[in-house]
Amino acid sequence: MSTDNNIDRKEAIKRTGLILGGVIFAPNILGVLKGCTATPGDWTPELFTQRQAQVVTALADVILPADDTPAASEVGVPEFIEKMVNETYSEEQRQEFLDGLDDFSDNFQSELQAEYFDGDDEQRYEFTYHQNRIAVEDSPESSPFILSFKELTLLGYFTSEVGATQVLRYEAVPGRYDGCIPVEEVGRTWAT
Amino acid sequence: MNLNIKAQDENTYDAIVVGTGISGGWSAKELTENGLNTLVLERGRDVKHVEDYPTATMDPWELPRADQIPHEERKHYEKQLRTGYTIRESTKHWWIKDTDQPYEEVKRFDWIRGYHVGGRSIMWGRQSYRLSPMDFEANARDGIAVDWPVRYDDIAPWYDHVEKFAGISGESLGLPQLPDSDFLPPMELNCVEDVLKESMADTFDRVLTIGRVANLTQPHNGRGNCMYRNLCSRGCPYGAYFSSNAATLPAAMETGNMTLRPHSIVNSVIYDEESGKATGVRVVDAESGEMIEFYARIIFLNASTVGSTSILLNSKSDRFPDGLGNDSGELGHNMMDHHFRVGAEGEYEGFEDEYYWGRRPNGFYIPRYRNLNGNDRDYLRGFGYQGSASREGWRRGVRELAIGSELKELVANPGGWTIGMTAFGEMLPDHSNRMWLNHDKTDKWGQPTVVFDVEFKENEYSMREDMKNDAAEMLEAAGVKNVSTYDDPGGPGLGIHEMGTARMGRDPETSVLNGWNQIHSVPNVFVTDGSFMTSAACQNPSLSYMAFSARAANYAADQLKKGEL
Repeated sequence: MSTDNNIDRKEAIKRTGLILGGVIFAPNILGVLKGCTATPGDWTPELFTQRQAQVVTALADVILPADDTPAASEVGVPEFIEKMVNETYSEEQRQEFLDGLDDFSDNFQSELQAEYFDGDDEQRYEFTYHQNRIAVEDSPESSPFILSFKELTLLGYFTSEVGATQVLRYEAVPGRYDGCIPVEEVGRTWAT
Repeated sequence: MNLNIKAQDENTYDAIVVGTGISGGWSAKELTENGLNTLVLERGRDVKHVEDYPTATMDPWELPRADQIPHEERKHYEKQLRTGYTIRESTKHWWIKDTDQPYEEVKRFDWIRGYHVGGRSIMWGRQSYRLSPMDFEANARDGIAVDWPVRYDDIAPWYDHVEKFAGISGESLGLPQLPDSDFLPPMELNCVEDVLKESMADTFDRVLTIGRVANLTQPHNGRGNCMYRNLCSRGCPYGAYFSSNAATLPAAMETGNMTLRPHSIVNSVIYDEESGKATGVRVVDAESGEMIEFYARIIFLNASTVGSTSILLNSKSDRFPDGLGNDSGELGHNMMDHHFRVGAEGEYEGFEDEYYWGRRPNGFYIPRYRNLNGNDRDYLRGFGYQGSASREGWRRGVRELAIGSELKELVANPGGWTIGMTAFGEMLPDHSNRMWLNHDKTDKWGQPTVVFDVEFKENEYSMREDMKNDAAEMLEAAGVKNVSTYDDPGGPGLGIHEMGTARMGRDPETSVLNGWNQIHSVPNVFVTDGSFMTSAACQNPSLSYMAFSARAANYAADQLKKGEL
């Protein structure tokens, strides 16, 4: 299992390298390795159990960790995820999400004999990478738990002020429209 | 007795306008500028320009749940939610709750609307196109329905008139099927849209242009220019797109001749058998439930197609047992919309080093090119396309293998270019497509509810084949990869272009209104919202409602001065 995960890890970096045209910034790789301890912070879960809240926090930070910019949990993403699941999902969707979350947590525990939030950074990354890879490759038409979770994480992060302005580019009032300009003049992906 | 006379005097005006949306705002402006003391009635609440746009300047992080409404609230918007884009935390206050405003569907009909001062002029798509000579001649040419009693030359000066005031940006092309407006400078296409434009010209001899929109590309008549935030539907703090609230109602107010009365649901038009004219309207005060009468020498119905038609159907008298002005039996019939949600999209490889600045509240437009010189397809009329190209954003990260810092880095860089287009097709008028009132089922103000029995028919479905296949063919010819098509018509009404249920015509036996938007048999009642449309054409209709409203209002004021009304 761990051998497979190591291969996945290398492939992840290789594939990402291809997507980015071979350029990977060292600080970002270090960001993955140094990891961080996920804590729910001052958020009091309303829907999630303590275990669920801890897994949500840890998982959101594996998907979007602290590096040059803050981690998902530092901008309130775990709380956002709970709010979305609690308030915008139907009862059926909510139950499906919670079941998916528990399955994810149980699978990690049975494979690695630790709670997801207690696992070491490398294990968490590799397990999550593997789950994501299976979902992306095997379920092009549907949205398994890990992809729903990833989408909520990205949504919460990139609609936060930090995500929109520090990682992406946001202009509340652009003031003009230019249809075709060098990408450097914008620098990063538009947040909106 | 004296009290009654006093009350009657206080409730008497030169003119009454029912409705404050795109057309009502224009009626109000033109009537008051002609010196007429005008009462403007709105069934919903007041909305003051800028100060009543509560979400207009909110950043994404200021909106709860990433702008999604709670699941618990969805039950109030069962039908309004069918568009997929209208009910957001930032815009839901502009749309009615279906639980407050029920209607029935014999066949699916998507009646999407907002009740407040300004109506849908706050949330409209702002695409603004003239009808052409060909459009006004189409019914006569094809032997469909009835002939328009108006030709392009009659309305052209009124298009000029409303465009000068409203401010329409766009590019002049000299096309016979899409006459140019009096334009402000056009917005730009982006680089991939330019590729499609050139390819279409070379390969198909077809035209692609920037959308013609009621968004200001430079300051205009005291309103500020567009800031390219693309948050129009929240209300614009700069007044940079045309709405009743930003443009026509302030102009009407400026004259000192307008009395605006919100919370006023018009129940019916009062008809006087002796004079053969309307004398006023009966209003239900939405807050008190009280029934009040207001009187005037001329009445303009601008309550939207379904609203105005409902008022006329509910205005029964011995002379008009089937609704005011309904000698022809056509009132409520010939409902049209545009049929759309069919087209193609794909990916464009290249221009990795190019991007755009700003959020353009507009896309490209492909004017109609089918059936221009006689009918050579297996359907009548035609369609245009609206579309745009853009680079993918962070959402593409969901289905990437990357997680962690690699994922952050990946989505921080713009993704590949995608381009897509949706066709908007003409729907033919058909007597069997109709609405009527259900007097047995009333709403919470005791007013009858509406029933719809409308469907797309063979001509629309046949046209959709071209609408889908042409889109894919044009994208592929431009080098677009992974082109896919879609075709999901939804219900009629989803275009939010309801029209035709009190149509204009030359013959009182077969139409409700004459060529001046005047009820044939009740000359002091004018209807200038979408219900007058004799045919739909394929262009977005609001600019035509503006022009016909301005024309009719000036005609009415003129006739009144001459003592003809």
